[in-house]
Amino acid sequence: MTVDSLREYLGILETRGDLHRIGAPASWNLEASAVTLLLNQADGDVPLFEDVNTARLVGDPYRGSQRRPWDRIALGIGLPRDLSYEEYYESVIERLKDPIEPRTVSAADAPCKQRVQTGDDIDLLEYPWPYIHAGDGGRYSNLHTLIAPDPDSEWVDWSYHRSMIHDGETASVLLLAGEQTPNLYYYKYERRDEPMPVALAVGVEPAVQYTSVMWIPTGRNEAEYAGGLKREPVDLVPCETNDLMVPANTELVIEGEILPNERRDEGPFGDYFGYMHGPRRSMPLFRVTGITSREDPIIPFCVEGTGVGETENATSSLEVGCVGPDATLGLRTAGFDVECCAPWKSTPRTVYVISTETTDPSYLHDMANFIFTTWGMLHVDFFVFVDDDVDPLNQRAVIEALALHADPEADFHQFGVETMPKVPLNIYQTPTEKGNIQTGTSKAKTAKTYINATSDGDIDHDDSPPDVDQRCRAQQILERAGVEMDDILFAETEVKR
Amino acid sequence: MTGMRDHLDRLRENDTVVEISELVHWDGVAEAVAAEATRHGCPVIRFTETPGIARLASGVYGGPDQFSTGGKEPWDRIDLALGRLSDGSYVDLLDQLARWDPDPIDSRMVAEPDATVRHGIDLYDLGLPVTRDGVPLISLGVLAVEADDTTTWAPIAGRRRRSTELELSVPRAFAEWCPPEADASVLLGVPAAALLAALQGWTQGQPTPDVPALAAGLGDDPLSTVGERTVPATAEVRIDGQLTVLDQHVNNTQDVADAKNRSATADYSMSETTRRGAAWETGCKTAIVSLRTTAIATREKPTVPFSPDGEPLADDIHLACLAEAAKLFRRVNNYWGVSPVQWIQLPVEGRLGLCIVSSEILYAGFEWQLANTLFSFSDLFDKVLVIGEQADPTDLARAIDDMWVKAHPANDWVFSESNAPSAAAPIYRDKEPGSRLYINATWDPRWDEEYIAPRVTMETAFSDSVLASLADRWDEFGLDNAIRPDRLDDHE
Repeated sequence: MTVDSLREYLGILETRGDLHRIGAPASWNLEASAVTLLLNQADGDVPLFEDVNTARLVGDPYRGSQRRPWDRIALGIGLPRDLSYEEYYESVIERLKDPIEPRTVSAADAPCKQRVQTGDDIDLLEYPWPYIHAGDGGRYSNLHTLIAPDPDSEWVDWSYHRSMIHDGETASVLLLAGEQTPNLYYYKYERRDEPMPVALAVGVEPAVQYTSVMWIPTGRNEAEYAGGLKREPVDLVPCETNDLMVPANTELVIEGEILPNERRDEGPFGDYFGYMHGPRRSMPLFRVTGITSREDPIIPFCVEGTGVGETENATSSLEVGCVGPDATLGLRTAGFDVECCAPWKSTPRTVYVISTETTDPSYLHDMANFIFTTWGMLHVDFFVFVDDDVDPLNQRAVIEALALHADPEADFHQFGVETMPKVPLNIYQTPTEKGNIQTGTSKAKTAKTYINATSDGDIDHDDSPPDVDQRCRAQQILERAGVEMDDILFAETEVKR
Repeated sequence: MTGMRDHLDRLRENDTVVEISELVHWDGVAEAVAAEATRHGCPVIRFTETPGIARLASGVYGGPDQFSTGGKEPWDRIDLALGRLSDGSYVDLLDQLARWDPDPIDSRMVAEPDATVRHGIDLYDLGLPVTRDGVPLISLGVLAVEADDTTTWAPIAGRRRRSTELELSVPRAFAEWCPPEADASVLLGVPAAALLAALQGWTQGQPTPDVPALAAGLGDDPLSTVGERTVPATAEVRIDGQLTVLDQHVNNTQDVADAKNRSATADYSMSETTRRGAAWETGCKTAIVSLRTTAIATREKPTVPFSPDGEPLADDIHLACLAEAAKLFRRVNNYWGVSPVQWIQLPVEGRLGLCIVSSEILYAGFEWQLANTLFSFSDLFDKVLVIGEQADPTDLARAIDDMWVKAHPANDWVFSESNAPSAAAPIYRDKEPGSRLYINATWDPRWDEEYIAPRVTMETAFSDSVLASLADRWDEFGLDNAIRPDRLDDHE
C-alpha cells in the first residue's frame, strides 16, 4: 500500500490506535510541545492538535519506540512495522537502489494549491508555528523539506534545515556550510549576490520527508528516490512565485528566496543532542513570496532535544530509520565491506556504529576518513567499528565491544587531532570557539575520531561454536513457556547471523 | 534478609518469572535456555522439571540491560534479594554495600540448618546444572571453611564434577589462608548477602576472612553450624566434604592453560578469549581446590540458582559489577576527606571493562585525579567515564550520551602514557603495557555559567505555569488515553 500524504499517514496511525486527537483548543505557545514531549517520554500516541488557530499541529509524527525506532517510518512507505532491523534496512536499501521518476500534475490536481496566498495576502504569522522550548530564540518550523536548486545544473536539493519565524514574511534559516544546500547558498548564490529561490514544504508525504533527511548524492534527483521508497511516482507541481517543483500533496508550501548577505538572528534552540545550545547567531534571511496550502493544513513539528537517552522523537527515529540504511548503501556503493551502518540510538547524528567483516586497521582508517570527508563531515564526531556479528543498534552489545575490545593504546584514532570542521550545534565548544562566522561553521576546529572495537579475531569462536540447533531448541522452550514471539523472531535473526 | 526461596517468592510478586514446566535436562540444556533468556529481556527462569533433585533457576540476580527497558534496573533483583524495596535508589544500595560494616553473628544463630542430610545420593543425583562441556555452574554459591576459630565463605566457580568430588576455582588468597586439607561445605541457594560478602571478603584486595560477619552487616539472614563451620541456615543445598587445596597458583589464562596441561582429567573452563568462567574470576588470582563429598543435605524441593557461563547480563556479572562499584565508592569517598562522588557504576553492559563515576568536579583537574584514583583502586577496567554530579544513575543512555556530546573529542578523551598495566576485563591483542583512558564529560569548572548548556527536560523546557496548565487540562486533552502503559509493557 502506498502512502501519498501526511494526513493519509496519520490516518494509518489512527487505524492502528497510534494517533491521539486533541479536539480541545491548544496553544502553539509551549503547550503543544509540552504535550508532545510528555508523550515522547512515555512512548505514547502521536498527538494531533486539531484546534490551534488556523491550522492543525502534529507532534513528532514519525517517532518510534527506542527499541524499534523504524516501526512507524516503515508504515509511511507501506512496509510492515514488525520487520527486524535487518529486514527493514535491506528493504529500504533495495528501494533506494530502484528510483522511480516523479510525475508532474496540474495545480488543479495538487492538493497543496487549495489555498493560494501571494502579495499582500502573505502572512506567516497566520499559522501556528510552535514555540517549542522556553528559551528558544523564537517559533520554529523544524520538520519540513527545504527545496533549493543548484544555479548551474538541473539538480535540486531536498533538505530539512530548521527555520525561525520572524514576522509575517521573513524567517531565518539555519544554513551550516559543508552541507549541500548551505554550500549552494554560501558558495554560489551569495558569491554571485543572487537570491536563492527556495520552497519550504511543510507536512510532506512520508517518502519525501525521509528523502529529505537522507544524504542523496549531489546531482541526483531526490524526487526519484522518494518515488523509489514509496514504489510510486511522487507527484510534483510548480510553485506560484518561482520555478521550483514541490510535492503536490504537501500540507503547506512557503515559497520564497534566501537573500544574499542578509542575516537575521537564529537560536538558541533545544537541539538534537539533548541540550539547549547557543548563543544566538546570525543566519541567512528567508523572504516569503507566496504561501499555498491544503484546506485545514497540518503542520508537523519535532520537540528537538527529546530524542536522546531512552526517549525517541521524530528526528531521532528518522536518523535510525532513514539515514542508517542510506549510509549503509552509500558505504557499500563506495566499495566498503559493511554489514550495517547505524546511528547510536540514544544520541543520533553524533555517533555512528559500523559493523564490518573486514577489520584491518588501514581499511578502517580508509573508511573512517571517507565518511568524515563526505556525509559525516560536520555533525558526526565518532565512528565505532564493531564485528559483523554485532548488531550496531544493540547498544548493550556495542558498549560491550567498546569496553572489552577497544584498546586505549591502539584502537582510538585521531583523538586530540584538532584539525576538522564542526557545526556550532555542540555544547563542548565555548561560545568564543564557536564564534559567529559568516558560513555558520564553528570558528574553532575539532577532532573527528573513530574507534576500532572489533575483536580482531581474538574471540576464540572455535572454543564455543554457536550451536544453532541448541539455541533454537532453547528458544522454543522459552516460547512454549510464554516468552514473547517478537523476541524469538529477533533471536532467530541473530542465529542466522 | 531473605533466603533463596523467599527471594523467588518475592520475584514472582515483583518481576517477570517464567516457569518452564516441561522437562529440561541439567546437562547443557538448562544453561542454553538460561543463556537465551539473558539475550531476550532477562526474565527469571524457573525450571520446575529437571531430572535431578534440585530445581534450577536462572536470572535471580540478573536483569535486563539499561538501554532496552524503561522501568527496570539491572540491580533491582539484588535489591530485592537484600530485602530492600524494588524501587530503592541505586545510591542507597551502593551505600549499603559500601558500608563494609561487619555485624556480630551470635544473635543470628539458629539451632539447625534448613537443609537435612539425604543418604544414598551423590552429586549426579543432585542434578546441578552443567555446561555442555560438563563444567558445573555453581558460581552462585559459596565455600565455607573454618580455620583458627574463624569461618569464612569464599566465592567459587565450578571446574569439574564427579559423583563424589567437586573441583572448584577459588580466590588464591583464600587458598593461601585455608589449611591444605579441611572440612568444608559448598552452599548453594544462599542469600544474596552471603554471595556479595564473599566477593567483598576475598576478591577486593585486602582479604577479610570473617565473611559471615560482613554478610550479617548486609542482612539479617539466620545462620547455623555444621561441624565447626558457620553456614547460612537457609541454604537450599549443602555439600559437605573434605577440602584439598590442589594448586594455589593457578591464575587466569596462562596459568589455567598450564594447569590444564598438568592435569589431564581436569576441565578448567576459565578462558580469557571466550569470557568463560565466573565473573568474579576476572582480575582475581585463583587456585584450584577439590571437595570430596561426605554428605549432601538439601531442603525440601531445593532450588539452585545458576548463572549461564560467559553470557552478557548473567547473574554473576551483576554481582561482580555491583561489588566492585561499592568497593570503589567506599574508597574514593574516604580518600580526600570529602565525598564529591555521587555514585559509581561498572555497568553490567560493559562486563567490568568500563567504570562510570558521577561526581562534583571540585576544581580544575579533579577529574584527572578522580579517574586515576579509580585506576589505582581497581585492575578490572581501562576506561573511566566521568560525568556530572546531577547525572541519574538509572539513566545509562544519558550517561553514555554525555560521553559522546559533552566531552570534547580533541580535549576531553585523555589517554595515559603507554606504561599502564593491562586491565583484567578487556581483551587485548597483546599483553604489553598500554594506555588507560578517561573521558571527562563534565562541565569545565573554569567555564562561565553562561557557557553551560541546560538539558532539554520537562522542567527546563517549560515554566511552572505551563506544567500546571498541562496538569489542569490533562483530562481535557485525554492524555490518560494517549499514554497507554500497555505499550511500555510490550517493550519490556
